[in-house]
Amino acid sequence: MFGYIRPFKSQLKFCEYDIYKAVYCGLCKEIGKSYSVILRFTLSYDFAFLGLLGFSLSDSEISIKPQPCIAHPLKKTPCIACGGLNYSASAAVISVYHKLKDDTIDSGFFRNFFSYVMLGFIKRSYNKAAKAFPVLTSAAEKYMAVQRENEKENTKSIDKAAEPTSQIMSEIAAELSEDENTKRILSRIGYLLGRYVYITDALDDVKKDYKNKQYNPLLLQDGCENLNIEKIRELAKDSIYFTLGELANAYTLLNIKKFKPILDNIIYLGLGNTFNLVLNERELLK
Amino acid sequence: MTDPYVILGVSPSATDDEIREAYRKMSLKFHPDRHSQSTLSDLAEEKMKEINAAFDRIMDMRRGGGEQKYSYTSSQYYSGDNSVFSEIRSQIKQGNLTDAENILDQPTTQRNAEWSFLKGSVCYARGWLNEAFENFSNAVRLDPQNAEYNAALNSMINARQGNMNGNPNPYRGRDTVCGCSACDLCQGLVCADCCCECSGGDLISCC
Repeated sequence: MFGYIRPFKSQLKFCEYDIYKAVYCGLCKEIGKSYSVILRFTLSYDFAFLGLLGFSLSDSEISIKPQPCIAHPLKKTPCIACGGLNYSASAAVISVYHKLKDDTIDSGFFRNFFSYVMLGFIKRSYNKAAKAFPVLTSAAEKYMAVQRENEKENTKSIDKAAEPTSQIMSEIAAELSEDENTKRILSRIGYLLGRYVYITDALDDVKKDYKNKQYNPLLLQDGCENLNIEKIRELAKDSIYFTLGELANAYTLLNIKKFKPILDNIIYLGLGNTFNLVLNERELLK
Repeated sequence: MTDPYVILGVSPSATDDEIREAYRKMSLKFHPDRHSQSTLSDLAEEKMKEINAAFDRIMDMRRGGGEQKYSYTSSQYYSGDNSVFSEIRSQIKQGNLTDAENILDQPTTQRNAEWSFLKGSVCYARGWLNEAFENFSNAVRLDPQNAEYNAALNSMINARQGNMNGNPNPYRGRDTVCGCSACDLCQGLVCADCCCECSGGDLISCC
């Protein structure tokens, strides 16, 4: 959705990075195959994490094969070649659609125009994904409406503002497993990841939102109204670290069957590192 | 039953001390104090039981019917007698957060330290961590001696400092992820240069 859930690359082993990349590329391929080529360019790291999490909970073996890549036409890249990514691909399509739809409401003319055009292109794909996963789709619609309500009402509470994104991510993650207890853990993990994403994104946009006088819960906190950046950073940092602490608690309960080092890297290093980059206003690398 | 060695994540050839260490680490990870406010506390308790049983079994096997039983029991703090609050507690335990909140918000409910604590518990279970923190702080301010409120607040203060449960590399990955910044490098070089000059040599000729 936003691309804040990513590994801390320099602490990954080469073999781990290869698997991570194969999942990313496999997911990109799956989106192209099941939905549309144009959607492949909207893929974010968040859904690569979702795909990886899905694999790590299942018993089945995975296979990786070199395949031609749309971004590097001359060389083949290793891709997951065993299926199992259809759900993550569909979840990605559904969230991109809603993100664009949200953009048509509250952005400038050009962005607005671009979003409308894109929406037209991906409408058919969205309908297909919506038909395959109706529960997820209705949840996304419901919580996007809550989000708009929050924005309209200028909700001050950070917790309340983060709720819709968190709930959507919670629904998305819970679907990865059939087992009742695992579903509960995944739903908690999803919720907290959504909260992490929302708050990180709010901090990332805080200057822009201040300039454009747009809704941002961080700007509504006591003492932050005049873009008091130090105070805002401190608030965001506390909220994020609370979230990561509880996320780690839920994560320890998960029965992970493979790729644990990669998931550990993302949960314990990647999230904190990405947030710190946003906190210090450094550029996020693609 | 699953192999107790697998549960503790140790090899069957591990020494007693290694097993004790693994057990200690695992039980810290699933300790009730860490999970008591979560919606998943029952799962953590189950894990804890599983680890206790595995540890006892290994020790039994090794001693041929062991004598010593370790086990962590979940910390029972609560000894209150207010029926409204115990009703709220049982609602939270069953996951009926809306019901719990409704009772809490009734004007007849007494607003004391326990009220703040339970309000915080509801927020925490929802994932509304900022409001949970405020309520826990409030509870501790009103009743600074209470162990239960302090445990809840301390675990959040711990998280705020960047501690994450089960982190395999706890000292890396926070503010300076690479362990050594450009500043550290220069400082190191200058130090090395001073040392060289003391003993008659020179590392950086210009200073």
